[in-house]
Amino acid sequence: MWETLQNLSLGFSVALSPAVLLYAFIGCVVGTLVGVLPGVGPLAGISLLLPATFGLDATRAIVMLAGIYYGAMYGGSTTSILMRIPGEAASVMTCIDGYAMARKGRAGAALAIAAVGSYIAGTVSVVALMFLAPPLARFALRFGPPEYFALLALGLLVLAYMSGGSMLRSLAMAVLGLLLGMIGIDQMSGYFRFHYGVVELGDGLGVVPVAVGLFGLSEIMLTAGQAIRPDVIKPKFRELLPSSTEWRASASPIARGTLLGFLIGIIPGSAHIISSFVSYALERRLSKTPDEFGRGAVAGVAGPESANNAATSGAFVPMLALGVPSGPIPAVMLAAMMVHGVSPGPLLIHQQPALFWGFIASMYVGNVVLLVLNLPLVGLFVNLLRIPYHFLYPAILIFSIVGVYAVSNSVIDVWIMLAMALLGYVLRKLDFETAPIVLGLVLAPMLEMALRQSLAMSDGRYAIFVNRPIAATLLAAAAFLTLLGLVPLISRGVDWRTRLALAEKGEKV
Amino acid sequence: MTVALTSALLLLMALAVAVPVVQAEEPYPSRPITIVAPFPPGGVADLTARPVAAAMEKVLKNPVGVVNKTGAAGAVGMQFVATSKPDGYTLLLALSSISIIPEADKIFGRQPAFTVDQFEPLALISADPTILVVRAESPWKTAKEFIEDARKRPGQISYSSSGVYGTLHMAMELLSHAAGIKLRHVPYGGAGPALTAILGGHVDALASGPAVVLPHIKAGTLRPLAGWGDKRVTALPDVPTFRELGYRDAEFYIWAGLFAPKGTPEPVLAKLRETLKQVVADSDFKTAMAKLETPIVFKQGEEFRTFFEADARRLADGVRQVGRVEQK
Repeated sequence: MWETLQNLSLGFSVALSPAVLLYAFIGCVVGTLVGVLPGVGPLAGISLLLPATFGLDATRAIVMLAGIYYGAMYGGSTTSILMRIPGEAASVMTCIDGYAMARKGRAGAALAIAAVGSYIAGTVSVVALMFLAPPLARFALRFGPPEYFALLALGLLVLAYMSGGSMLRSLAMAVLGLLLGMIGIDQMSGYFRFHYGVVELGDGLGVVPVAVGLFGLSEIMLTAGQAIRPDVIKPKFRELLPSSTEWRASASPIARGTLLGFLIGIIPGSAHIISSFVSYALERRLSKTPDEFGRGAVAGVAGPESANNAATSGAFVPMLALGVPSGPIPAVMLAAMMVHGVSPGPLLIHQQPALFWGFIASMYVGNVVLLVLNLPLVGLFVNLLRIPYHFLYPAILIFSIVGVYAVSNSVIDVWIMLAMALLGYVLRKLDFETAPIVLGLVLAPMLEMALRQSLAMSDGRYAIFVNRPIAATLLAAAAFLTLLGLVPLISRGVDWRTRLALAEKGEKV
Repeated sequence: MTVALTSALLLLMALAVAVPVVQAEEPYPSRPITIVAPFPPGGVADLTARPVAAAMEKVLKNPVGVVNKTGAAGAVGMQFVATSKPDGYTLLLALSSISIIPEADKIFGRQPAFTVDQFEPLALISADPTILVVRAESPWKTAKEFIEDARKRPGQISYSSSGVYGTLHMAMELLSHAAGIKLRHVPYGGAGPALTAILGGHVDALASGPAVVLPHIKAGTLRPLAGWGDKRVTALPDVPTFRELGYRDAEFYIWAGLFAPKGTPEPVLAKLRETLKQVVADSDFKTAMAKLETPIVFKQGEEFRTFFEADARRLADGVRQVGRVEQK
């Protein structure tokens, strides 16, 4: 404990040196921009800027790249809330309630809650990272394919809480998403599925083009098709900050989101997007007023936004403690370390204490920088909504196309996005929710891979899911939740879903 | 930073402009050259391409940029270069997957995305033998014990790989064939996850590039058994090669080489070959590769062709031995 604090003071002496501070600041600014631009997520941002860091020394380079990473997580929520366009994949869930809040004139509140939630999650999980990195990393390694499969199966149950209204409609959309997730190279056999001669489809449909198309662009088309031109929201200054009720409503979701996000983040191979899905479902399950979700529930913004930021720090645990990448972004950062002659691995903390602790300390600093940077920007961002739609929407369209193209220099991705925009438009005209499609698309390849890897490990024996304690526990939890879901059927009670369906009917009649 | 953003932007613009312009006779190079890395940033191809580009820029006094065109295990970027204008302004930094992908396409009876003879080999830049590692607490102390045990229990010892038909998979297949053993393959999505799998105890063995596993060997969590090279790895002088152990066909390298599209004019090729000779002698380039712990192995002309063809033959055999996975 004492040693940790001593090390941390070494870290702060590194992190607060003007040069490192400057690069942390630059990283945060660039990250925020990257996050705000629709489509361009942290991976694309880091990849584009990686070569630029080759001239720096290792600590500065890593600090800057980390700044981009968590800066993008902060910035990603902005366009989700204001325009229903996910700035990066993990902000998909924020689109739902964040945008609904914005439509109610609470855009400022939603942005502020997202920023504060991200700050708390970021800071708390750095503390956890600092004290628990080595033991947690070893625990996280025990998550092999069977455990991962169980976790994802649990994640699939999230569907039940994804959207209001008809369960049948949600399931139909989820199945559509799962089917879309089948496109691409089968990673176990190398077989190309549904590629129709387009090599680019080998990697399947990207989450970002699909989400931007389904959520954002379809929204633009829907607005354009309205008979009565919608009023431009004119936010007033006193409405920028969340009310005390909103603060209270966001406190526990932030706490739960932080814990959940951090734990999911440390598991190798898992994505931030899953942490935000699970957090959203959890909040809805625990909420006393689940029917508010989808219509601007504060918890639906606070939970997922905290979770995806905590997952960012969580992802650094295996990277720093063991030198193994827990996802594509830590993998790029590990490469950046190697370029600077720092060999990442279990010995890093002893061989390069200044780098390790400087990095940790810079994360504290970075989170403060981001909060200071983002809170005043809330006012500015909200004012974007004052721009008349006939200027704003074409601009969003252009930014979306440029952003999605830039991620992998692929025109195919732009076409995917436009096709998804059309699909989203039609589906939403028919009253289908589009969020379950994205969930299905994300889960399908992971779930399939984990299942088949598990069976490859066990030579085809399904017992592997029961024999391994973590997997068995997770699957038992999933079974329990399913049973819980069946209770209303048996007791014939009226649960929130039925109430919601009734209420919706009432509205329409 | 603004410099980096501007240069990234310029690069994109240059790429956009570079493709359609029809060139009149003018000295080569007179506009920016693009090296396509068909894998994402941070991978072997990308990390090799960047110092190569930087050194080429110095030698040619002409901008040289790296563009990551990723997807379909590298096929997207390789196809892009195969079909781009053979004018010396679009080059490819390829790994051994350049010989694997067309072979796998053949097995599945599909229209190949590209073929090897659409490229003109320029130079081999680096070649790193893979090494076989197991966890420190596992029972096998030597490669001999490992192979004997595998022979006794066919299909019981498992290994992770970077993906089916991927480099790490091929290395193990070549060994399995040479030693007449059968191992259980669990593919992962990339070399990173494959390493995580062995550290977590989900598989028993892994073939890996030395640089990636060296820290774990030093920390005592992984044990090296043998290497696939024709010589021992410098950093691991006590670890034998499979060649020494009598498995002569188990030879495998993670290599990186530079290619141009077929049909590039001979003067341009000559200029590029001459440039690359100076690139590998460049001190900044040497430092960059040393930091990556990747040995520079420079081969050109006939020498590279021989290496490339022998490697391609071994890999083609390997892919055919694996066959179509889903039919098993």
